[in-house]
Amino acid sequence: MTRTFSLSALTLGLALVAGPALAEPQTEIVVQYPYGDVFNETHKRIAEAFAAKHPKIKVTFRAPYKDYEDATQRILREAVTGTGPDVTFQALNRVRALADKQVAAPLDDFIAAEKSFEADGFHKAMFDAGSIGGKVYGVPFAVSLPIAYFNLDLVKAAGGDPAALPTTWDGVLALATKIEGVRPGVHGMAAEWSISGNWLFQALVFDDGGTMMDAGETRVAFDGEAGRKAIGTFARMVSETKTPNISGNDMRAAFAAGQVGMLLTTTAYVNALTKQIGDRFVMKTSPFPGLTPGVSRLPAGGNVMMITTTDPAKRKAAWEMVKFWTGAEGGAIMVRNTGYMAPNKKAADRLADFYAKNPNQFTAVAQLAYLTNWYAFPGDNGLKITDVIKDRLQSVMDGSRAAEADAVLTDMARDVQALLPAKN
Amino acid sequence: MTEMSVSAPADRSIAGERPRRPHEERAAWGLVGPAATLIGLILVVPLIVVVALSLTDYQLGAKAWRFVGFANYADLAGDPVFWRSIANTALYAVAVVAGSTGLGLAVALALQGSGALAPVWRTIFFLPVMASLVAMAIVWEFMLHPTFGLVNAVLGLVGVAPMNWLQNGATALPALAVIGVWQQFGFAMVLFLAGLSGIPTSLYDAAEMDGAPSAWARFRLVTWPLLAPVTLFVVVISTIRSFQVFDTVHALTKGGPNKVTEVLLYTMYAEGFEFFRTGRAAAIAVVFVAAMLVVTLTKVLLVEKRIHAR
Repeated sequence: MTRTFSLSALTLGLALVAGPALAEPQTEIVVQYPYGDVFNETHKRIAEAFAAKHPKIKVTFRAPYKDYEDATQRILREAVTGTGPDVTFQALNRVRALADKQVAAPLDDFIAAEKSFEADGFHKAMFDAGSIGGKVYGVPFAVSLPIAYFNLDLVKAAGGDPAALPTTWDGVLALATKIEGVRPGVHGMAAEWSISGNWLFQALVFDDGGTMMDAGETRVAFDGEAGRKAIGTFARMVSETKTPNISGNDMRAAFAAGQVGMLLTTTAYVNALTKQIGDRFVMKTSPFPGLTPGVSRLPAGGNVMMITTTDPAKRKAAWEMVKFWTGAEGGAIMVRNTGYMAPNKKAADRLADFYAKNPNQFTAVAQLAYLTNWYAFPGDNGLKITDVIKDRLQSVMDGSRAAEADAVLTDMARDVQALLPAKN
Repeated sequence: MTEMSVSAPADRSIAGERPRRPHEERAAWGLVGPAATLIGLILVVPLIVVVALSLTDYQLGAKAWRFVGFANYADLAGDPVFWRSIANTALYAVAVVAGSTGLGLAVALALQGSGALAPVWRTIFFLPVMASLVAMAIVWEFMLHPTFGLVNAVLGLVGVAPMNWLQNGATALPALAVIGVWQQFGFAMVLFLAGLSGIPTSLYDAAEMDGAPSAWARFRLVTWPLLAPVTLFVVVISTIRSFQVFDTVHALTKGGPNKVTEVLLYTMYAEGFEFFRTGRAAAIAVVFVAAMLVVTLTKVLLVEKRIHAR
């Protein structure tokens, strides 16, 4: 009671200062999210549904962040000046940087106080994705996983069976080799390896049961057997399937134009590619190659919701928002408007009809069992490390060192190790 | 800057001749005050902060930092990316300065006395200078696009195989240099045109009478020597502008592929705003400012030498 009173007194005081705009006794939560072209509609609709249930909380959106990099930059700059939003959406692999710099506070108290969380579709793996050092700093909102996109017309033209698409790396590479040059200018496959520097590399390492670092996070572990196979697979894409050395944008444009047999990238593009392709050819999504139950895992891309305000009343209101956005209703709205998946288990219940109509969207949902952390390297050089990995991969993908992939991996491991914190 | 350096010694000589009266003193401070405060706030204080930051391990958004001495500079000295970045910036600057100065002079000579259409051409050639470089970079991205780009289409007509200009390690930096020349030569052209209009026609007449009948001889004997001050100015200004290249790199290549287009300002940006290693970015900024200072001082020295020689 006293809290409600003091809160309304505060709001009233603010209203007197700020004028009629804040006249209603509401808690205002300022929110900022990335990729406006993908998420504007989603957040608008969720906010409408939220307003109907929580009239006391007013959600205000700031102009969206351009991309994940922009989002992290701005939240860090604003942390210095104290002008940040109350709730921010950040890439899953940036949780670590923000937690280290204490931009966001842990949410464990809120989670512990919730009684019916399991029943509402929240689960441990979901919180794990936004956890650092055993504490939950963000709750995942929109999740993506790497999958394969096939151009069935080209698969047929190369003598492949569209009903039995290959699921092993050997099968995929053999099919891509056959598709290569089946028509002038046609490429067998393209893999968007440069996403965030090392996301697809992580996918390939995890696919084979490997990890990026050892359990104590002191030594790189991607130079083991799984990493060797991963970089070897990239090298085979270059040497066997002659994959083109072009940017991710160009890969997607070429795939949509019907010039690429298979594309490995994030689920986030299912909607956009479906629209771009139209009736030009039949596109089918298929699980990421090489998945082995019990061994493989896949790094979750996408974004988490983090609370950055320190005001107790605002934190409470922001937590209501987090529950709604990452809950069944918010998740279902998000899935219908983007290509992402909702990590909440109950969201899928509301989407049975949607997935029946959009089987290409369901491919990634079937992969949810493999979901794991998008790994972020520890220490002050964490983000520089992803750039180092990207450059080393580039030297394989542009063909200059494709013949000596093992040596590239050794160089990569040495460079990354040198950038890790010297502790322990 | 020049005004200050001129007025400072003058003040001192006055002070030496007769003691300054109090009201003059106050008036002097009052007149200098606003400008000095602004220069202090906008230039000097940030510069001190940057130098101080370069001696710490500060990271963007961090709550605490440590004094690390010259560790950031030592790291830079051993960082291949940084040296690559310096080499690329120098290569780019040489290509763009030579290209834009040469092309600017050639166009200015061609336009000089070309009649009624000269102002039209002048405006057209000057347009790239006024355009927003980021917007123009996007236009160039489309022109250089590997599959539907205009450049490949035109080259295809003469039988040149299509190339991925910005993704190819051998062509990415040259492509950026061409864009740089395209953007800067109009500026050089305008300066050269002004310089050309200042050359008295009587000198050409005299040269012709003295036995310099060919256009080349007149250029070598009259135009070129008299344009020397303008040329020096153009070279210095375009050197400084070339060192500042950032927009096209950020919009088109992000320093890639494999750091072949990594330039100083982009490295600084990446360190500070992508890797959040602010201390290191500050160290690069200090190196950059020092380099700019050297270029500017060289210009001042050369100009003074020329004035004294006269």
